[in-house]
Amino acid sequence: MGQFIQFALNGLLAGTIYSLIAVGIVSVYKATRVVNFAHGYLIMFGAYFYYTFAVLLPGLEWAPGWLAKWEPSWLLAARAEAEMFSPRATVLDWLSNLPRIVLGILGSILACAVLGRVIERALMRPMIGQSAFAMIMITVGLVSVLSGAKGLIWTADAAFVPHIAPNAPIRFELFGSMVFLFGADLVNAAIAVILFSGIVLWVRYSRGGVAIRATAEDQQTAYSMGISVPAVFGHAWVLAATTGAIAGAILATRNGVSPSLGLFGFSVLAIVLMGGLDSYVGVFIAALAVGVLEAMAQWQLGGEWAEVVPYIAVLVVILIRPHGLLGQKEVERI
Amino acid sequence: MLSIENIEVTYHHTVQALRGLSLEVPEGRIVTLLGTNGAGKSTTLKAASNLLGLENGHVGEGRITFRGEDVFRIAPDRLVQRGLFHVREGRRIFTEMTVEDNLVAAAYALRGRDLRPDYDKVYAFFPRLKERRGQIAGYLSGGEQQMLAFGRAMIARPSMILMDEPSLGLAPKIVAEIFDTVRRLNAEDGVSILLVEQNAGVAFSVADYGYIMESGQIVMEGPVSKLRDDKDIRSFYLGVATEGSARDSFRDVKHYKRRKRWLS
Repeated sequence: MGQFIQFALNGLLAGTIYSLIAVGIVSVYKATRVVNFAHGYLIMFGAYFYYTFAVLLPGLEWAPGWLAKWEPSWLLAARAEAEMFSPRATVLDWLSNLPRIVLGILGSILACAVLGRVIERALMRPMIGQSAFAMIMITVGLVSVLSGAKGLIWTADAAFVPHIAPNAPIRFELFGSMVFLFGADLVNAAIAVILFSGIVLWVRYSRGGVAIRATAEDQQTAYSMGISVPAVFGHAWVLAATTGAIAGAILATRNGVSPSLGLFGFSVLAIVLMGGLDSYVGVFIAALAVGVLEAMAQWQLGGEWAEVVPYIAVLVVILIRPHGLLGQKEVERI
Repeated sequence: MLSIENIEVTYHHTVQALRGLSLEVPEGRIVTLLGTNGAGKSTTLKAASNLLGLENGHVGEGRITFRGEDVFRIAPDRLVQRGLFHVREGRRIFTEMTVEDNLVAAAYALRGRDLRPDYDKVYAFFPRLKERRGQIAGYLSGGEQQMLAFGRAMIARPSMILMDEPSLGLAPKIVAEIFDTVRRLNAEDGVSILLVEQNAGVAFSVADYGYIMESGQIVMEGPVSKLRDDKDIRSFYLGVATEGSARDSFRDVKHYKRRKRWLS
């Protein structure tokens, strides 16, 4: 039982990260009816941008010293007092990394937003009014362009980056059994959930959300309501790119930066299909389910099964419900 | 208000939909554009609201001005914000959104103008929409959907509405209700209206001036009072037999063919 709760929790935490990746795919799909195959590569860029701004940039010679290691005297004094490897020491270590973490996240969000904007302007906007299929093929082409560009810009593979939150181990009792978690994982999951629910509420209840949904349904009519369709496209892509940047930074802290992050996007695409391309709630459920299934498969069947079992479940769900768990079929008038 | 001068439109660079069409809608008037299927009525409206680009439509010659400005130089959404609203054929409501959100979407037309969306006014006009404000619009009846399409137009506070066959597929009673709204919008808010119809009877009941088009051209125009009495229009559009008797001989059929010639 204790093991079960432990693995279920790990799975849920991983699932929230999947949902943060998925939210970008769903947002672009909702606004533009384009399934963005390149989203994983946007995330890979997010991870590499985080690496650039949090590791490479502070390491440069002309960068101020406090950027790489912020060590005011009170912090040094506090650290000398703290016990090694105690939670307090971990927090203090994190504090001295804080400047570069903040720079990394802000830099990654900004750079990704620019990248998303450029992709939308240069590749998507000229295609407004054309079939969504043509736009989807463009995103497939984008996969090669982005992964090639990554190779040209960054050569480092599997480099490590600082955690976003203090990574202190946390032990606590849950349903009568001890569980063990890392602080950073918990904070990552919280960030993911807050961002996800924020976006869902925004799309459902704000005027901007109405514009996105209107554009999704009928571009021409959205235009004739005074909604600027190109602006909606732009916002959706920037939203996807910025959430992707944060997801990328989080993934980088978990497994290090590497080109395989791009492929990760494809497994999240499967999750999105399982949840229903246009349903945030469905996708959230699917993301958590796949996260838990993965953890369970790892526990009971071993690591090599962890990558297969969840996606078999995805296939089964799609066979039974082609629109996904909560995907909307077209409304037919009765 | 709106003037269309000699425009030509081709789709996909092959199909010519409009060949040198001109018409004029003066301020505060209701002008109707009649024609059979495929005459190019909807294309004319889409050209005026600058939506043709999204359908591979290409405007060759001619120009369209709205309040003296060339519409092709203004993005479609900006055009709506300047007061030119297009109620499109088949209503085109957002079927997956609620009634209320459909109206909220139309509030985007108020951008850049110092106006607030007046939802209560729409609900006062159409109490049935108020009852169903939380419902998914796709499940409304055809008449209610048309009311919603009009409601959106009212939210947008346009100075001119392009209306594409509002009577399409609706029961006569609903049609009467809808046209009553058209008349009120014109009389109370001074909205100019370009009304495209196939149903000449209802169109003439509200319009001041009419144009008749065939194959992408205007073939006839005049004040509605005059058009109404025109023999050809009476027989082709109003379905009233001429000379007060039913056609019963071959001679009359030939007469029909001869008279139809100006239309083709």
